[in-house]
Amino acid sequence: MITVLLEPERRQLHYPKLNTVLQLLHELKLGQTDVLVIRDKELLTQDRSLAPGDTITVRRVTSRG
Amino acid sequence: MKCRKCKAQAAVALPSHNTAFCPDCYLLFFRSQVERTLHKQRMAKAGSPILVALSGGKDSLALALQLHELGYAVHGLHVDLAIPDYSALAKQFCEKFCSTINVPLTIIELREEGLAIPLIKSRIKRPICSVCGKLKRYFFNKFAVENNFPVLATGHNLDDEVSRLFANTIRWDASYLSDQGPVLPAEAGFARKIKPLYRLSEFEIANFCFLKNLEHVTAACPYSPKASFPVYKSLWNKLEERMPGAKIQFYENFLRDGRPVFAAWAEQQTDLEPCPGCGYPTSSGLCGVCRIRKMVGAGVNGPGVSDLDSKQAG
Repeated sequence: MITVLLEPERRQLHYPKLNTVLQLLHELKLGQTDVLVIRDKELLTQDRSLAPGDTITVRRVTSRG
Repeated sequence: MKCRKCKAQAAVALPSHNTAFCPDCYLLFFRSQVERTLHKQRMAKAGSPILVALSGGKDSLALALQLHELGYAVHGLHVDLAIPDYSALAKQFCEKFCSTINVPLTIIELREEGLAIPLIKSRIKRPICSVCGKLKRYFFNKFAVENNFPVLATGHNLDDEVSRLFANTIRWDASYLSDQGPVLPAEAGFARKIKPLYRLSEFEIANFCFLKNLEHVTAACPYSPKASFPVYKSLWNKLEERMPGAKIQFYENFLRDGRPVFAAWAEQQTDLEPCPGCGYPTSSGLCGVCRIRKMVGAGVNGPGVSDLDSKQAG
């Protein structure tokens, strides 16, 4: 299972299987430059592989006022 | 994906530049982008004092940090809007940031000016975001002029600038189109204004903040859901996804081909006169801020206007 934390909403999602960051972005209907994708304090580009047990933070970059 | 410069594992991919960088090389790229903009647009002399408008958000803090690291004498200026559940946090981030990098910070409290945003919101029918922007611009400018800062820098990024240009273009607002750009020269009553991050996107700035471990406010302003700019930004992000580089092309081509035409038109329009209430340059009798003061009963030409009540911190 892969755990995804959406920020700033602080929503948590779970996916049984995702192969790459790009797949995750497609699942979330997000563009490559809409968010930062973070694993263990490391930024991930869209080609990076994901593995079961990963916790991924997806942080929106748009200012909201 | 590998870093273009050192071939290490990439951390940041930039489709608009068709490239990617590792953390260290990305920070060098970011620094060189800001440095190049400052130099190419002749924004400020190396090492000179720069007043930086700080909101507590990622853009303004990233700007202040980068300018500080480039050797400029940064002085932070924060306007406390007195918005519940928001402004106190924004101020805290500014204070913590300035204290960490050891740069002076001045805070202007709108509540002490009789202009707290919630009060104004309760008295007017106009969208509060435009009034809030007007007040911030007014006090940033006033402080810069009265304290002889050669330049006032704001953290406007490429997405801000493109959204604003798009909004002005939708309305064909010749007046606003005539002076939109990364550098506004000093003229009677107005400080010189610069936007050193105008070529960098929100994504690029967010990456910089993450890699620099720069803490900033992420909470949304409770009044922002009615703002129109997020709608434009979302549209442009979709376009950029399909056509990488569309944003910078739209903006740079406007600066080269569009703005001069509108600037020539603006030269033939009414000259600005000092506001009879506060002396701020205006084209319509009382300036916008004095009209707001009058509306909320804060008193035109009161002590808050002529004697700016600001706090020195740090």
